[in-house]
Amino acid sequence: MSPAALTLAAAHRPESPGLWTLAWRRFLRDRLGAGCLAIVVVFVAVALASAAGLIASDWSHETAVSYAPPNFLGGSTAPDEASPTAVRDDVSEEIDIKDPLADELAEIRKALAGRSAVETKKATLPLGADKWGRDVLLKLAKGTETSLLVGLSAALLATFLGTLFGAQAGYFGGRIDDFFNWLYSVLTSIPYLLLILAIAAVLNQKGTSTVVLILGLTGWTGIFRLVRAEYLKHKVREYVLAAGAIGASDTRRMFAHILPNVSHVVLVQLSLHVVLFIKSEVILSFLGFGVGVETVSWGSMLNEAQAELLIGKWWQLAAATAAMAVLVTAFSLFTDALRDALDPRLR
Amino acid sequence: MLAYVIRRLWQFIPTLLGVVLLVFVLFNWVGGDPAYLLAGKISNPEHIENIRRQLGVDEPYYVQLGIFLKQIATGDFGASWATNEKISHIFASRLGPSLTVLVPMLVIGTLLAMIAALAVAFWRGSVTDRAIMIACTVGQSISILVYIIVLQYVLGYQLGWFPVQGWGQDLRENLFYYAALPVLVGVIVSLAPDIRLYRSFFLDEINQDYVRTARAKGMSDTRVMTVHVLRNAAIPIVTNVMIQLPALLAGAFLIERFFSIPGIGREVILAVERSDFPLIKAVTVYVAIATMIINLAADLLYKAVDPRVQLK
Amino acid sequence: MSLQTERAETLLDIRDLTVDFRIDRATTLRAVRNVSFDVAENETVALVGESGSGKSVTALAILGLLPENASVGGATLFIGRDLFAMPRRELQRLRGRDISIVFQEPMSSLNPVFSVGFQLVEVLKQHASLRPRDARARAVDLLREVGIPEPAAKVRAYPFELSGGQQQRVMIAMAIACEPKLLIADEPTTALDVTVQKQILELIAELQARRRMSVLFITHDLALVAEVADRVVVMRDGEVREQGPVRQVYEAPADAYTKALLACRPRLTNRPVRLPVIDDFLNPGREEHPPLELPERSRGLRGDEDVILEARHLAKSFYRREGLIGKHEERAVKDASFKLARGKTLGLVGESGSGKTTLALMLVRLQQATRGEVLLEGVDLLSVRSDSIEHKRRIQIVFQNPYASLNPRFTAGQILMEPMHIHGIGETQTGRRELAYAMFEKVGLPADAFFKYPHEFSGGQRQRIAIARCLTMRPDILICDESVSALDVSVQAQLLNLLQDLQDEFGMSYLFISHDLAVVKYMSDEIMVMTEGEVVEIADSDEIYARPRHPYTRKLLAALPNALLEPGA
Repeated sequence: MSPAALTLAAAHRPESPGLWTLAWRRFLRDRLGAGCLAIVVVFVAVALASAAGLIASDWSHETAVSYAPPNFLGGSTAPDEASPTAVRDDVSEEIDIKDPLADELAEIRKALAGRSAVETKKATLPLGADKWGRDVLLKLAKGTETSLLVGLSAALLATFLGTLFGAQAGYFGGRIDDFFNWLYSVLTSIPYLLLILAIAAVLNQKGTSTVVLILGLTGWTGIFRLVRAEYLKHKVREYVLAAGAIGASDTRRMFAHILPNVSHVVLVQLSLHVVLFIKSEVILSFLGFGVGVETVSWGSMLNEAQAELLIGKWWQLAAATAAMAVLVTAFSLFTDALRDALDPRLR
Repeated sequence: MLAYVIRRLWQFIPTLLGVVLLVFVLFNWVGGDPAYLLAGKISNPEHIENIRRQLGVDEPYYVQLGIFLKQIATGDFGASWATNEKISHIFASRLGPSLTVLVPMLVIGTLLAMIAALAVAFWRGSVTDRAIMIACTVGQSISILVYIIVLQYVLGYQLGWFPVQGWGQDLRENLFYYAALPVLVGVIVSLAPDIRLYRSFFLDEINQDYVRTARAKGMSDTRVMTVHVLRNAAIPIVTNVMIQLPALLAGAFLIERFFSIPGIGREVILAVERSDFPLIKAVTVYVAIATMIINLAADLLYKAVDPRVQLK
Repeated sequence: MSLQTERAETLLDIRDLTVDFRIDRATTLRAVRNVSFDVAENETVALVGESGSGKSVTALAILGLLPENASVGGATLFIGRDLFAMPRRELQRLRGRDISIVFQEPMSSLNPVFSVGFQLVEVLKQHASLRPRDARARAVDLLREVGIPEPAAKVRAYPFELSGGQQQRVMIAMAIACEPKLLIADEPTTALDVTVQKQILELIAELQARRRMSVLFITHDLALVAEVADRVVVMRDGEVREQGPVRQVYEAPADAYTKALLACRPRLTNRPVRLPVIDDFLNPGREEHPPLELPERSRGLRGDEDVILEARHLAKSFYRREGLIGKHEERAVKDASFKLARGKTLGLVGESGSGKTTLALMLVRLQQATRGEVLLEGVDLLSVRSDSIEHKRRIQIVFQNPYASLNPRFTAGQILMEPMHIHGIGETQTGRRELAYAMFEKVGLPADAFFKYPHEFSGGQRQRIAIARCLTMRPDILICDESVSALDVSVQAQLLNLLQDLQDEFGMSYLFISHDLAVVKYMSDEIMVMTEGEVVEIADSDEIYARPRHPYTRKLLAALPNALLEPGA
């Protein structure tokens, strides 16, 4: 080819969308998926703002009266101090959940009764207040931070491990495959929740990073199995054989050739695991094996809300449920749209 | 067939050793000195030393591992630290209540999900289908905790249709009176994810060539769905149910806990709360063994539902 | 085949058939436009076309079996009644009873979890209202009629327990169970080996004559048509190009596209220096040579050629676990020895499972040979270190599936630059880019291909990229493993011409693997026949077709469509 033609060709670099670009365009055409992505982005923004201390840093301030109702209910349902306590204690025994703070709480309540606490405290809040008069809205923001942090970090860790192990096992086969399969069968022969509860029992130290580690180190097995299957399938595909024939090294074939072609599977799994881990964190924190007492999580909010419901204070329950449902629904629908957009049938 | 079973049983050994090693490392090494846990806050050095000797944790690790292996082989894990109840007795007495709740839950849940999934797959793309799918996605995104809390409060506490919690002695009373609400909650919780999953199984089959053949043969749409598609989709559904079994065996922890059902799941949560290590160790090892046996059974069952499977 | 000149009563009359597929909200794709033809009683009509011609869509439209996103226009009259206007239930009763269909892939078209008997009995119960016991007996009779050995035992077999040919026979048994008036056969032999293909064709022809039914035979292979059809309908891009009695279409095709289709396919009788391609006919006048008057190319070895590659007793076994401790040895290649002459082409013919691909993969060392040696100019390739890339460079391979052999995440430019980078060809990045542009030109692709991704190319263009990728390394030996088999006849001719031009220019040696005997004969100087992992015959290409020695070679040759044995139209 003449140099002139060469420059011409280079100058006329045509608009050539790669598979990722095409997938992104397909994704944006799916309005539901794109809308869900927007919702997820809002949640992430709230979490980031909360983590940076821009909002909700004062969530633990007792800014309102105990059980201040949400604004839209008005201040008419003023908290009645005496009767709920009776009902509460009664119930907590019945359903076998011990509130470790019950005694201290009673003391606080007595102290509060001594002073006229109501004068500086608000009677209503946008989403109401909890037992200690803390703003549910701020707790919600803080809980979003915890849940997303745990969900995303644990999912990243699990996906990284699952992909790395799965790639090795599927590509090399033989003894490496045997080893990882053994590890897989050991971990999967113990039911997931039992495994994380057992580890939680042993570690016996609460905290966000502990939860992330527990979930991430035990949760990679599903991704491993899928990635391994993909590698088994792809390593005999003709494009990988062709790469072998031109002399590309194993590492190059594994990561430059196969990985981009299975990355859609990995991405969808990452997204699914964020949801899975957010749910797991809620359960762990609810049971008291999750994040520490100094942190709010949707799980710990639900734990408080359980007792509140019995005395008719439903707003914390509703708020935590709704926040979690919206995020998880949006994330799930986003994952579905992502899966559709990345569908490799195009090839 | 026999050769297959024998080889699979043989393959259990390395996996089981892995589980034993994992549990051992977790509890005897990572877990730190259990004597401090056991002795509680108020204790003197002699007291702790005494406990250590009793537990055998002053022995070298290999001796401890030997003790653990012997416990597994003989099935004698000693007594619970918290209640001093024999662990073998805990298992024997807690399995019944667990199964009373879990078996109906699994059977009803699977059947309902299959029927619903078959229906939405049949009317795929319709408004009903989309509405149900969105409802499932939303339903799935609400925590199981919320279902339990709200249903227990509304159906049990407020309306009084069901007992809020409790357990009796009589199987019939347990099954039809105490287990009713827990089973209902369990079914509702499992319905959303199962319908979505089974629907995708049905849709995968609907696009296969043999469905086109069946239609070309003049089979009615109903027959195509209920004979050809259902029979093929049954294969991944059976697999999925079998995969869920071990997790169910360890119990729907939360349901047992909330409804005060004296099953294995509740025992596990209590054990974790009380750091009752022997009990957790025993549960983990036994559930792992049960899982492996269930997996083997699943493969044999698989052979029955899918003629293509050859056990070699 | 009926020979009557006056046509019988019309059975199926397709009028202005149009099929649209809804891709998404905004786009619809018209797959078939204004197609009209008819099928008379007791007549076989062949619907011929390349991929994307709309021939299968037409067949599915007749029975209302199109996917849900399709909509049909026009009318299809079956004995005077419009099938498109028929109530759903009535159409269901008609399917499998009056009109039945046989599909391309027998394996996936049979329900995998039901026995053959169950699937046969199902049709009989539905349409013939037979009692279970009678239906069972009838199913056995049907299996016997379509030539299944031991029908009484096979009735209990599951589809996966049968061979591909037997599965297709079961499909045919199901289709004829209720004595339909019309049998639609949608590429019934494409997925099968050539020898099996012949048997199935004979079976359909025999059943047609015995049962006096009409057959609509859909195929991409014009050569097959002469043997089975009374009339031919040629389709391209969703439209009918030509239709008429088979002799007329063969001997005096009126349409340029039909002429091209007939001329593009290599034949056993002659070997022009280059194959006519579709453009020669559709845009005549551009070429200097009129397409049908090309000089012949002479092939064959003199015997004193320089040997570049020699395989000695090459073997490959795979192991499978069996029983408690046993291992089952599967010998994919048992013993293969051959010599490849410099600058010449060695053809390799064999059916599926003959071990020909395994042999190719051993030569490029993508499969480790169990035994034997491969000498490249006297050096044993199998004993040099596996990471010695210089030896890799000298033997390159082009695979079968153009849709799988290019990494979908790389641009065509990256695909060409990668081997140059690995082997240090072309000093600088600019130098390599220039080389890549030169290669694109060489294989007949535009320069802007450099920035495009594989999904933007057609199958033929992708195969050109795959060839260009090999060329960047200037290999001495190029292995073509069924490299043109997945392509349409018209595209295949272009690729064969390209491969020939490149051999003439660079003097490469080819190992040309194919199941298509006509293509292999056209390309090769010497031909090697493999079956069940063994090389059974090696001879000069003209020699082997004239005087086959091994019984298997004879069987292969006998399975060729007769049309290929005749001189071009």
